[in-house]
Amino acid sequence: MKRVVITGAGVISPLGSGVRSLMEGIASGTSAVRYMEEWAGYCGMNSHVAAPAEMKDEKKIPRQCRRSMGRMSIFAAQAAEQALADSGIIISEVQPDRMGCIIGSTTGSAVSISKAFEIMLFQKDLSLLPSSMFFQCMSHSAAMNVAQYLGLTGYVMATSAACASSLQAVGTGYEIIASGRQDILLCGGADELHPSVTGSFDVVFATSVKYNQTPNKTPRPFDKDRDGLVCGEGSGILVLEEYEHALRRNAKIYAEITGYNTCGSGSHISQSEDKSIVQCISGTLKNAQISYEEIDYINAHATGTVQGDKEEAAAIKHIFGNTAPVSSLKGHIGHTLGASGAIELIAALHMMEKGVIYPTFNLDEIAPDCEGINHLMEPVEKEINTILKNCFAFGGINAALVCRKMK
Amino acid sequence: MNEQEIIDITNKVFEESFEIEKDRLKPEAHIFTDLGLDSLDIVDLVAALQKSFGVNIRNEEKVRNIRTLQDIYDFISTIKREGH
Repeated sequence: MKRVVITGAGVISPLGSGVRSLMEGIASGTSAVRYMEEWAGYCGMNSHVAAPAEMKDEKKIPRQCRRSMGRMSIFAAQAAEQALADSGIIISEVQPDRMGCIIGSTTGSAVSISKAFEIMLFQKDLSLLPSSMFFQCMSHSAAMNVAQYLGLTGYVMATSAACASSLQAVGTGYEIIASGRQDILLCGGADELHPSVTGSFDVVFATSVKYNQTPNKTPRPFDKDRDGLVCGEGSGILVLEEYEHALRRNAKIYAEITGYNTCGSGSHISQSEDKSIVQCISGTLKNAQISYEEIDYINAHATGTVQGDKEEAAAIKHIFGNTAPVSSLKGHIGHTLGASGAIELIAALHMMEKGVIYPTFNLDEIAPDCEGINHLMEPVEKEINTILKNCFAFGGINAALVCRKMK
Repeated sequence: MNEQEIIDITNKVFEESFEIEKDRLKPEAHIFTDLGLDSLDIVDLVAALQKSFGVNIRNEEKVRNIRTLQDIYDFISTIKREGH
């Protein structure tokens, strides 16, 4: 098996464009959540908060590449460009069939899908559909748009597993490079805000509804007053590279990916379950050939839902007890859905680099049903060598990944 | 509708739908080689012209012969004159 390292990262997040904006926002305890005035017209929508990302500089992407991109694909293309620049890789210098991308999302562009159905259902005139509309709506829209924009000709794949999409992308990229089939893969995910997206959680009572007038107070992962998740948007892309390939070009290495696992719960489509989370994390640690004591930091999935946070806390408690520090970044940036795994992994890697762990924003009082694990309430400076990233998704999908600092 | 109006409306389509600067919109400009449109763009061009001029040209055989902006001006002019 080949070794797989991370040599670049790019982010478009609710805290701004670039990894620096993301980390500055997290370090300063900034919330990107705001009241969504424009959603007031939706009958039956109880949650009116979200964490939008700013769309800017999109016209730097040539029109003929941009026309097939919905909002999330533009985020993905910009994050991929950042990641590529960060890695120092020049695509023309790479063997063309050995470099590709794996980028996941919940669906294609939610905004574009909505527009397409407005035409199909109300105007009933197919001649009004722009030629590129379908390309914005496809499930692999972000992956294929990034590949077309950058001219990638190796593997091009999309992992569509809702909120676990981007961590599955990174995990799948790790397995493909480890198997020797590719040298470099841009891996991550993208998703975008739309009333239908928040609505999908709202109808099953998973959104935050009590903080519409105080948006910075929600979501509240692991907190006693948590009342649901807040949707965000953006994209996170990491450059995964075969270790020897990275060494040959003297690349900066953020970390080595040493373990990955994904599994289904087989029990419920919307409620996560501690038993299957334990199975997923245990499998990841086994794959990484490490014991639970070696994990220095757990970047939790914890979205602030009443049910999900409880199950994740129980699973972490079962494996780690009160040892490894745990925090969630959803309080700062909301739940960036299919992008969350990659965006939060990038943030965790930067915490590892700086030797500081940032606490869970809005965690003021630990909920009794989330006790027994090492919650961080304040920033902690410590040597971090090994991190665990969790992601769980609708459909009973779990994913977890272990990264280790290169010595 | 006079010829100048046809030119202005057509050029506006190219500016708004295809982000092409005004000074590149010369009558002799080839829509593929000079203005950079491709086969997918032609689908959107036809839709935009239909909407802008209130005509139905999707199944017109003559659309296939269009190469330059002047060809479009002439084509629209003919269509309008024939009362499509």
